[in-house]
Amino acid sequence: MAALTRSRISILSVVFATLFASSAASQDGMALQVVPSATSSDIIEFSRETLDAFDQVEFTTTTIWTDGDTHFSGVSLKALLESIDANGSTIEMVALNDYAVTMPISDLEDGAPIIATRMDGNIMSVRDKGPFWVVFPYDSDTKYSTEVTYARSIWQLTRLNIID
Amino acid sequence: MNSGKYRLSILAGLGLLVLLLGLMVTNLLSQLRDLSTAQGDSTQWSISQLDTEFANLNADLLDQLATGRFSDEDLKLRVDITLSRLDIVNSGRAARIIGENDELTSLIRDLGQFEELAISVSDSSNPLTDDQIADLLTIVTELRPNVRRIALLGLSLSAEQSQQRRAQFAGQLRRTGGIAIVLLVLMGALLMLLDRMFRQAAKNDAALQSSAKLLSSTVSASLDAIVTANGAGEIIDFNASAENVFGWSRSEIIGKSMEETFIPHHMRDAHHNGMRRYIKTGQPRVVDAGRVELSALRKSGEEFPVELNITSTEDEDGVKFIAYIRDISERKIAEQELVDARDRAERTDKAKSQFLTLISHEMRTPLNGIMGVLDLLKTTKLSSVQERYADIALASSEILLEHTNEALDVTRIETGDLKLTLQQFSLPELVNGLADVLEPLAREKELRLIVELGDPVCMDFYGDKNRIRQILTNLIGNAIKFSDSGQITVKVDGIHGPEHSSVKFKVSDTGSGIEPEHQEQVFDAFVALAPSEGRQSRGDGLGLSISQKIARRMDGDISLKSEVGVGSTFTLTVPLQRREEVPNSDATDEDPVAPSMKPCKVLVVEDNSINRKVLSDMLEGMGHHVTQAVNGADCIEKSAQLEFDVIFMDISMPVMNGIEAARRLRHDNGPNAETRIIGLTAHGREEYREAAEQAGMNTFHTKPIRLDALRSIIAELSVADPVPMVSAKHPDALGEMRDALGAEQASAVGEQFFNELGEFASQAREGLFEGEPLALAEAAHKMKGAASLFGFEELEPLLEKVEKDARQGAVPDLIAQLDVLERCARKAESDFYVRMSVPS
Repeated sequence: MAALTRSRISILSVVFATLFASSAASQDGMALQVVPSATSSDIIEFSRETLDAFDQVEFTTTTIWTDGDTHFSGVSLKALLESIDANGSTIEMVALNDYAVTMPISDLEDGAPIIATRMDGNIMSVRDKGPFWVVFPYDSDTKYSTEVTYARSIWQLTRLNIID
Repeated sequence: MNSGKYRLSILAGLGLLVLLLGLMVTNLLSQLRDLSTAQGDSTQWSISQLDTEFANLNADLLDQLATGRFSDEDLKLRVDITLSRLDIVNSGRAARIIGENDELTSLIRDLGQFEELAISVSDSSNPLTDDQIADLLTIVTELRPNVRRIALLGLSLSAEQSQQRRAQFAGQLRRTGGIAIVLLVLMGALLMLLDRMFRQAAKNDAALQSSAKLLSSTVSASLDAIVTANGAGEIIDFNASAENVFGWSRSEIIGKSMEETFIPHHMRDAHHNGMRRYIKTGQPRVVDAGRVELSALRKSGEEFPVELNITSTEDEDGVKFIAYIRDISERKIAEQELVDARDRAERTDKAKSQFLTLISHEMRTPLNGIMGVLDLLKTTKLSSVQERYADIALASSEILLEHTNEALDVTRIETGDLKLTLQQFSLPELVNGLADVLEPLAREKELRLIVELGDPVCMDFYGDKNRIRQILTNLIGNAIKFSDSGQITVKVDGIHGPEHSSVKFKVSDTGSGIEPEHQEQVFDAFVALAPSEGRQSRGDGLGLSISQKIARRMDGDISLKSEVGVGSTFTLTVPLQRREEVPNSDATDEDPVAPSMKPCKVLVVEDNSINRKVLSDMLEGMGHHVTQAVNGADCIEKSAQLEFDVIFMDISMPVMNGIEAARRLRHDNGPNAETRIIGLTAHGREEYREAAEQAGMNTFHTKPIRLDALRSIIAELSVADPVPMVSAKHPDALGEMRDALGAEQASAVGEQFFNELGEFASQAREGLFEGEPLALAEAAHKMKGAASLFGFEELEPLLEKVEKDARQGAVPDLIAQLDVLERCARKAESDFYVRMSVPS
């Protein structure tokens, strides 16, 4: 029952996303492209507006790249992937400068990482690591203060590929 | 004590271990934290990215100028990306690292001009001109070495930092390692300690086990039953012997109480109370009291005697009683048998003694008749043959008499009844007298009997002269008997010690001697040496044995020195008390007291008619007037009417015995109250002596009484005649008084004395001194002093006795004593006047 409801929402959101994808991308020039399966070449685009329609996850933490406490808000990566019924075991995250890092999907948690759309309440420009930044609540657990986590904290995120 | 020390050190070690372990854990945790959080590498990456993006921008700008293939959007994105890298270097951890390095800071500052231009390019809303692009390219190209330098510096700084971290980490590792080593050492030490304790414990355990094993084997192998009970009296252990003794098996009795099993019913209450009392007070009665004899119950129900010893011990389970129980029923039976056997033997022995005593008594009575008659026969006119026959018969009778006497002596010695009668005697008199008696015997065998008296012993001694005489008679008699020729020497000598003198009588013969191996035997009872040689004219089986026993009874001894073919010497050594010396005179040469043939009035009291007749005939033959009485009662009757000079009184008589009769005569105050009484007995000399003396008999004679003995008794009677006694013994007191005062005056004083004495006697008789014994004593004392002044020696002891008795509180037989006193006084008075009337 719960699974059924969940899948229905996912389908709706995909449809929704497809409908507004072009307009969102054109406005900012920056939409998040997601390849939901290794076997298909379909691309689902998520504009900031689309992402804003998801349940927002937010937290305040320090990072090694910023000064002082920073407030992040955005969409749980896990929730995002679920919404498109992504199937696969590994996700590749690619930045604007083609920096890429992979991560097993099993490592995804409900609230970490998130695809942050806002930092301290403001949207982020490319100059300011925007438009999307994968962040972890680093202060909440030492397990996030690792090389792997730092490597996965990819900014200027532009694409998510489900590989495998 | 030792284990306490061990425990303390182990606890301290454990505490230290816990502390170290805590320290190590904290250390390790912090290391873990350091390891799990990345600190530098990402920063280094961020800084190097700046260089990469600068390079990309440089290339793209060059490409655009050459080809113009990029849109403005693409170029602006590229510029933005490069700017974002600059932003990253200027903020966060990268900024901190850079801020610490002056060169980096200045290099970054130099990038400011690029930032300004890049922002203006990126933010311009107009299409980009080639000039703008060329300007940007120039700055980028100019700054490329700077950015490269920043990347390299960042790299080395990062490397330095990680080097530092490694050093820090290594330090931490070393600390942890150090702690671990200390831990290991400590643990090792603790393990060693534990091992030592373990070994110690194992050793103790082994010792304990072996001692327990030993104990259990001791308990199970014990001949005594061992029962262990707890405080409630329940049996908790029961060994094999206990199973045998009580008949209960161990499995049956364990858990039962002693009360319901082997304690006899009649003792259960006492046992119960005893246990309770012990538990309550801890005061033992049977417990720890050593061996106690009680009785116990077998399973089969019979009670039997046991000897038990109970000890108690206390451990964590409370008090325990351990009883060692020995079944002594067999021992008790054996003891009973032994006691029975002893009693039987004692009874037999007593019966034997009684028999011997009886026999000797029964033999003496007829002997009395035979010897008396033979004596009488010899006073008649006989032919020489008849005379010899009579002598033989007499000698044989004497031997028989001696045998009976010896048998009696043996029983006395064996029953311990041999009493010594100590008296003063003159040693020369004794020895010479004996020699006189025995000399004829020696002469018969043509032997010479020589007496050698040493000067030191020619004096009076105090001892039992009759026993000494008996021993010497035996020794000299034997010497005569066993010597066929030569001489018998009796040598008497002595040494005067401080207390008493040791007197030696050496009797040497020239007989054949005794072989060394037989020398000890001669003192054994009933041993007669060399009977085959037929030299034994008479049995001597008892003589030496008795002599030696008597000698030892007198604290002396008899020893023997003998050489075969030369002769034997028997030596009697006796300790004697000294009395004043007497001149060594030939007293024995003097005639004995001349027989006084003054006819006496004699009463013979004897139940045996033959003996009575013989004795009467003897006395009448001597010219005395004899009255006969058949028993004590008859005697009392006869003596009530007539005053006798002497009474011969048999001791054992029917109706009234001699002791009782003598007592009555003395107390009845009749005419014979003062008469001399001679006791006669066929029993031993000692048995009745004391009783006879207490009854008032003057002397005591063993039957048979011989003619000679009779003559001396009568002679003594004449000597002891009271009339000459006073004047003979104390002539001086009265004589001096008469000389001093004149006869008249002396008589007057004497008269006064006798008056006073009479007055004292009558006052005492009338009870004037009743309840005032002291006054009586004083009066008697005064009279005594006066009597001694006059020399009335016979009165003195009488008065003294009254005084003594009175001083002790009472004179029970005052009247009787007064009777005697008055009688003596009358006699003394008449004597006194006789003395006074005789002209000096």
